[in-house]
Amino acid sequence: MAPEKQHEEHAHGEEHLRETHLMLDPKPRGEMNAMVMEAMHYTTWKFWVVAAVLAVIVAVGLFYSWGVMIAEGLGLAGINRPSYWGIFIVNTVFWIGISHAGTFISAILRVFKAEFRRPFTRAAELMTTFGLMQAGFSIFMHMGRVWLAYWLFPYPNQRLIWPNLHSPLTWDVLAITTYLLASTMYLFLPLIPDLAMARDRTEGGWRKVAYRILALGFRGTEGEWKHLRLAMNIFAFAIIPVMFSVHTIVSWDFAAATRPGWSSTIFGPYFVVGALHSGMGAVVIVLAIVRGTMKNMKYFIRAEHFEAIGKLMLIISMTWAYFFFNDYIVQWYGGDKWTNILLHFHEAGPLGFLWFLMLAVNIVIPWAVLWNKKWRSNPWIVGIVGLLINVGMWIERYIIVPISLTINRTPFTWSLYKPGIEIPLGIGTLALFILLYMLASKFIPLVPAWEVQEGQLAHRFTKYGRETVVTVSELE
Amino acid sequence: MANLDKESAVSVNLTNPEEGKWGMVIDRDLCTGCQACVAACAMENNLAFVGEELSGNGRSMHWIRIERFWEGEYPEVKATPFEPTMCQQCGYAPCEPVCPAYATVHSQDQQLNLQVYNRCVGTRYCGNNCPYQVRSFNWFDYERPEPLNNQFNPDVTVRRRGVMEKCTFCIQRIKRAEDTARAEGREVADGEFAPACAQACPANAIVFGRVDKPETVVSQLAKQARGVKRLEELGTFPHVTYLKAG
Amino acid sequence: MSKQISRRDFLKLAGLGAATTAVLTGCGPASRVVVREQYIRMPEYTFNGQSTYFATTCRECPAGCGLVVRTYQGRAIKTEGNPLNPVNLGKTCARGQATLQGLYNPDRVTDPLNQGRGGALSANKVTWEEATGVVADALNGGGAAFLMGMAPDHLYDLAADLGLETIRYSALGAFEARATLTQAAETMLGQKGMPFFDMGNADFVLSFGANFLETWVSPVAYTRGYAGLRKGDRGRRGLFAQVEPRLSQTAAKADEWLPARPGTEGLVALAIGRIAAEARGLAVPPAFAGVDVAAAAAEADVPLEALERVASYFAAADRPLAIPGGAALAHSNGAQNAEAIFALNALVGNFGRPGGVFISPLAPGVDEYHRPANMQEMADFVARMNSGAIKTLFIHGVNPVFELPKALGFAEALVKVPQVISFATFPDETALMADYIFPDHHGLESWGYQRIVTGATRSALGGAQPVVVPFYNTMSTVDLLLAASQSSFADEVAFIQSKVEPLVADKNANFNAAEINAFFAYFQQFGGWWSNAEGLAAPSGGAKAVAVEAAEFEGEGEFYLLPYMSPVLGEAGANKPWLQEVPDPMTTVMWNSWVEINPDTAHELGLENDDVVRVVSEFGAVEAPVYRYPAIRPDTLALAFGQGHTAYGRYAAGRGVNPADVLGLSYNEAGDLAFAATRVRIEKTGEKRVLSRLESKLGVYGEGLGEEH
Repeated sequence: MAPEKQHEEHAHGEEHLRETHLMLDPKPRGEMNAMVMEAMHYTTWKFWVVAAVLAVIVAVGLFYSWGVMIAEGLGLAGINRPSYWGIFIVNTVFWIGISHAGTFISAILRVFKAEFRRPFTRAAELMTTFGLMQAGFSIFMHMGRVWLAYWLFPYPNQRLIWPNLHSPLTWDVLAITTYLLASTMYLFLPLIPDLAMARDRTEGGWRKVAYRILALGFRGTEGEWKHLRLAMNIFAFAIIPVMFSVHTIVSWDFAAATRPGWSSTIFGPYFVVGALHSGMGAVVIVLAIVRGTMKNMKYFIRAEHFEAIGKLMLIISMTWAYFFFNDYIVQWYGGDKWTNILLHFHEAGPLGFLWFLMLAVNIVIPWAVLWNKKWRSNPWIVGIVGLLINVGMWIERYIIVPISLTINRTPFTWSLYKPGIEIPLGIGTLALFILLYMLASKFIPLVPAWEVQEGQLAHRFTKYGRETVVTVSELE
Repeated sequence: MANLDKESAVSVNLTNPEEGKWGMVIDRDLCTGCQACVAACAMENNLAFVGEELSGNGRSMHWIRIERFWEGEYPEVKATPFEPTMCQQCGYAPCEPVCPAYATVHSQDQQLNLQVYNRCVGTRYCGNNCPYQVRSFNWFDYERPEPLNNQFNPDVTVRRRGVMEKCTFCIQRIKRAEDTARAEGREVADGEFAPACAQACPANAIVFGRVDKPETVVSQLAKQARGVKRLEELGTFPHVTYLKAG
Repeated sequence: MSKQISRRDFLKLAGLGAATTAVLTGCGPASRVVVREQYIRMPEYTFNGQSTYFATTCRECPAGCGLVVRTYQGRAIKTEGNPLNPVNLGKTCARGQATLQGLYNPDRVTDPLNQGRGGALSANKVTWEEATGVVADALNGGGAAFLMGMAPDHLYDLAADLGLETIRYSALGAFEARATLTQAAETMLGQKGMPFFDMGNADFVLSFGANFLETWVSPVAYTRGYAGLRKGDRGRRGLFAQVEPRLSQTAAKADEWLPARPGTEGLVALAIGRIAAEARGLAVPPAFAGVDVAAAAAEADVPLEALERVASYFAAADRPLAIPGGAALAHSNGAQNAEAIFALNALVGNFGRPGGVFISPLAPGVDEYHRPANMQEMADFVARMNSGAIKTLFIHGVNPVFELPKALGFAEALVKVPQVISFATFPDETALMADYIFPDHHGLESWGYQRIVTGATRSALGGAQPVVVPFYNTMSTVDLLLAASQSSFADEVAFIQSKVEPLVADKNANFNAAEINAFFAYFQQFGGWWSNAEGLAAPSGGAKAVAVEAAEFEGEGEFYLLPYMSPVLGEAGANKPWLQEVPDPMTTVMWNSWVEINPDTAHELGLENDDVVRVVSEFGAVEAPVYRYPAIRPDTLALAFGQGHTAYGRYAAGRGVNPADVLGLSYNEAGDLAFAATRVRIEKTGEKRVLSRLESKLGVYGEGLGEEH
């Protein structure tokens, strides 16, 4: 091969890499900051229409319905004996699951220095915080006397009663509260430089005031960066066990009970993987939508990111399948009469189709689609797979909670569960999640500009003889 | 071998350290399914009635229900012996540890499972975790039009919406009998009182008394070979013994 | 009052009663007033936190169980059985427990009303003076008749004393076929009276349709008998077999159930008699000799082996006992069936033996048992109403518009009676058709006595006293009649005292006293009077020839209709919300009616649970949801009696259907309604109405779990 041609090819390859990889496609700081700010400020009328519709859904579906339910009684929901828990708990588990993606992407990938994470860590962290809010709403809805919800927290009180630390629900309260606080802090810390950037690029108005307060006077000095990095590093490591513990503890709500189908020792990791499964799915949905609707986002969020997350999703789907099979086979092999009836009921009962649908969308479809690099590089394909996975994971929780509760050791009480007011309330939480996300995208830089810039600084083309290779320097 | 088995059983603590105090024996051979206990319980304990739609939707407030199943097909069909089912007052109750608010606790005095209505926040975890499914939840504030409220038993709290409730073994009667006995400087005599269900039972299928005293009627009956505990394999140590029919 | 018993004495006497309950009563004139007071001004015998207990008699059915009612600051809180009462010995049924839901029911008639035969309850109040005038005019006008409930109580005695034509009826008596039972007893046992079956001392009970664990005659007493049978005090657990087309709650407790074709119960009895006679080595009496066992089994559509097995139990038992009752007697050949069943008892010679058949002791004050009216007598009465012979009809303690078959035309006849005066405590269907409603007190607010017909083994008179002051502006019907007739009795209590006076000096009773006031105080305290002497009489009859003809049915449909009394609601329990919510023992259905149909038949007809079907006879039709009942003959449909009210308060009205609407009007030889002799067909409506059931919603066999299971 002629050297010129080779050189050309190299030049072409470099060009190609630049096109596909954000880290190799640097823009000047000022320009990138302007892009981030523009993405935040550029709002079409469609945005406000959608936001208004969502606001109405939240007002009616969530707050009005909930108010009525508090005033009338929990009976407006479809829960009954023996399905004392229903969609409220399904949604709680679901939203906590969603919230895992943020931590996973931003903390685990940060700790392992996976460079593709950089443009969407914040998008994922926002999901954590807002998802946990919905989980909190769902669990409060579920309470018979929600006005006494504070009794679940340990505080000195005139009743001289501490929460019962034997109860998995108390563990839940502690774990979720810890996770919510930690993940909010962890959202906030990397946000500080971007808030400072926004402060510097905002001319007056309430935004300026808000940014000034929230940026905590960050100026970008060496000392500030040092402390900030230290804090982020501590949180990144510390939040990982918290994340694992949260969903493990949520799984113990079921695993620690005496019910057939629930009492399973593998529920902890099974639930964590399930949470990641739905969480990653949710991240790609959000990214696909953000990329498609927000200005300048096609620069930040590229096919490479979907491709990378797609690979992760495939691995997580396989892991989930492994845990599902493991859980199933051990329960089935155990030969317990009631468990066998329950497993049979899952598959052949009146809602048996859900069980097959769950397996199809959680395993078959991801495996069939995501193995193909071309397909998993397409934002919409990956987004749809992510959506299906979320449907599948919601069904999984539905099967574990109300459908499994149908079968117990007292056959005289077996009864199917039909949801009632749970449906508007569930839709209300979903709408609130989307609404909060949309409003947040208009208030805080959705792309961590400093993190992208940091990555781009670290990446460079280096020539080794005739070869040009990408090198990454250690900044942290 | 037998000795070994016994020892190992002791070493893993499968014997109940707490026999309990009050217990019940239900003779399924005698129970005619007449529902007198169901009505008596409702009258004694201020149970709410919930109406047609809710009662068919798994929301009836019965603290005691009579179970029966069908076996075989016509003409070789029979109903299984009626089985009055109420809170089994487990020695190791699955409902107790899961309550985050200590609303269902074990009474040291009576060795019974208590439901403390005004501590209940309504998570319903106890209801899920009860293998006997004998708890009922107040899904609403149920209407009892005037003057039906005149009938309320002043010894029993009226429950509001959002709290769990269940059979108490008529603890108000236990307390009254114990107080009376204490005031008279004696022990409560066997058969001196009975919960509403046992008192009403026309067939005397429900017998109540001290299970920790071997001479009581209930202890004698429970010792019979046909005595079984429901879902014994779970290790809940119920304080209700069922005598098999036939 | 010449000689009063102090409260202190009563407190002492209370100790005589059950250890569990202190039975208190007032005394002297004060005892007639039980006042519901404000909390701050309580009667002297109440203490805050302490309950007062009053003994009385349950009025929910005519069995006459004794109650002890716990009251608290003037409110009735709980009913319990009176442990001293020989009928129930401290026990109660569900209906007795729920009696307070009648007392404090929000739908009672609160004032005397000029109802004016309006469709809804009138708001047209009258005073009790006006009411007394109306009743006095009616009494003086002649042609007055009194239709009352089945219980032989003091009101019945007063009406008789006043020379009124009285007729007693209850659907309960019709479903027991009580006239048939007593007529067969008279024929076979040789004397009049209610038979008593000593189940507790038997070791094999063979019941033909007698649902004695549900509503039959005296269910609490017979449940005690059943418990005795099973406990086998003689060392062996007694066995029990039931012959009837549907596995009732009673049959559910049986070791053997023979689903004989309706109307063949007598034939089955004869076949069993023949096998038993041969097995016991007795000369086969002619009654049984003519029966071909195999043919009888085929005719009854029961497996021959099953028939022989039941017969072998009967033959092998030391103390076998056969009981006739309920639907087995409600056929054109019902009286013959009853006689054939009594002949089984005669065969084994158990008349007057422990574990056998006795005549119930007569209550004090009567010389023979007066049974309530049978359906034929009711039909005659309706004819007299139609003819205009009855000028004024008083109705008390019964709801004939609901409880009589529609085909009898009572409602139409009622319209033709010039004046109808109801004493109903509830706005039931009949009361709404009356000219006046002069509401009586609720049973727990009133004085009275009731003769115990059966159930007790000794002569007994149940006593009633108010446990609370009347809640509404109601008036005792007896007081009203006394006032209207310008009787010499000062009030109801004086009248009752005059009736119990002959018992005062009887030394061989649960108590006695020197004079009537002391006696009456005891009467209240004990909740009645009963003799200490065992009163069961041995029948004088012996084996007699019997013959059983084939049953005849009315109508063309392909199904036999088997109506039965709801075990929980009875004939008048539908207005009590908690009784509505107490599940039916067999189907666990609450708050509604249902049609029981064999699952195979339902499958052939393409009927699922909760499909609404129309049950059509020649006389009417009712619509109710299907309940696929595994233990009913494929050619039989069953409907429970108790629901289907169009009035009777918010908890009863518009709920379920009344099987009396489809019944035909054929009678057996004893004049009882052959209620099981109507044939019906079934029509789909295409509607669905989900029944409220307590049992698993995944199907009675768990078929909702999915295939395989």
